[in-house]
This record gives sequence, C-alpha cells and structure tokens, in this order.
Amino acid sequence: MMDVTTERHDGVLSADVGGRIDGSNVVQFEEAIRTAVEDSDRAVIMDFEKLAYISSAGLRAVLLTAKTLQNRNAKLVLCSLADPIREVFEISGFDKILPIHPTRAEALASLES
Amino acid sequence: MAEKIDEFCAARDLPSAIAYAVNLSLDELLTNTISYGYDDDARHRIDIAIRMDGSAMVVEITDDAKPFDPSEAARPDTDVPIEDRPIGGLGIHFVREMMDGFWYRRSGKHNIVTLTKNTETKNTEDAGTAT
Repeated sequence: MMDVTTERHDGVLSADVGGRIDGSNVVQFEEAIRTAVEDSDRAVIMDFEKLAYISSAGLRAVLLTAKTLQNRNAKLVLCSLADPIREVFEISGFDKILPIHPTRAEALASLES
Repeated sequence: MAEKIDEFCAARDLPSAIAYAVNLSLDELLTNTISYGYDDDARHRIDIAIRMDGSAMVVEITDDAKPFDPSEAARPDTDVPIEDRPIGGLGIHFVREMMDGFWYRRSGKHNIVTLTKNTETKNTEDAGTAT
C-alpha cells in the first residue's frame, strides 16, 4: 500500500513516496526514510506526486523526520503534493514550517547553494 | 472501509475531495477510539452508518468505548515553530476542519459521533482563504 524509492544526487536524497500512509504502515514509512538517509546528506526531498492519502499518523512521521534532520543541520523539503494532500498540510499548519514546492525540479533548485 | 466510502461517493458522483475528507475523518476518529478507548482485550464492535440527507453526507459512528467527546478535545496550536511542536493531537483537528458538522452524544453504554459534510459548497476553498 505504500512504497518509497530513493535516489541521491549531490548530497540530496530524493524519496518518491507512493500509495497511502496511515497508522497501519507509518512505522514502515519512517523506517524506509531513516535507513535511506545518510549522515552526509544535507537535505531530503519527499516527492509526494504518487501519494494518494496521508493521515495525521503520516504527518507525525514527516514532522519527526524534519526534526531529526534539523538537529543535524539538514533540511526536509516537500514537493508535488496533490490537492487533498496539500490541504492536510495546510490544515495542520505544516505548510508554514516545511518548504513545499510544486515540482521536484523547483525543490532541487531551492537547495542549490 | 475506505473502499466503501469511495464507492458510496462514486455512486453519487460526489467529488473525490469529499471522499478524502470523510475517509480521513473516520480514520482519525477510529484510530483514536481503538488506541485509547478500551481497557480490555475483548472484541468490540464499532458501527458506521453513512447516508445522504439532502445534499449533506451524514456519517454516524457508534462504539462501546469509554465515554469520550472528541468534538470537545483540545485544539493544537498550529502556529508554533517546528522545534516546539508536540507530536500528535492533529487527528481531531482534521475532523473539525474538514467536516461541516461534528456532534457527540452518549447513549447508554455507547458513544455516538455524527459527522456531516456538505457536498454542494466548496468549503475547502473557504477554509484555505480564511486564515
């Protein structure tokens, strides 16, 4: 029901997240991200283009990932949210604390220094 | 459960945003009830009834868990910085924001939560511009 595929370029880990994230599989989601991230990564992009559903359990996992990365001075950036997913982020206020970009290209561009 | 909601909405040509909002609200409320509502390991029954009342979708959830009124649960502060955010407390906030009606009553040994969602107005747009 949920799958994560990752690729790394120039210290930026891009994670394609597809399917549904809810209380039943949020632990697998956290685990997939945690094992993919390396200490040398300066940023993680979560690409939600193929994400069909996320509940508060999934949002908590995203927030925890952001906090973990922030403690290491790394960033979490989101992109390609479908309208209902975006609405969930807006209602939670997470859109004010996490950068959200319309496309993967724009997310990558925001991380160039 | 999500499939049944999707079927109910598709059969009535309701927008997918309605199905999403109802699915999310049910997911959050049932997760809360199952996680915190029972002190024993016995089997429990939760009934979910869905119907249309005019243009409003009406969902009624009946359980025999401990008395708990989710419509009165505390609101999270969504304006604080990321490092100060407590983990959790968001689920019921979603229900409150995404549904048009959210009522609770206790009847005998049962909690009964009633949700309504208007299917004609685009209230999700209103919610976005109000803040």
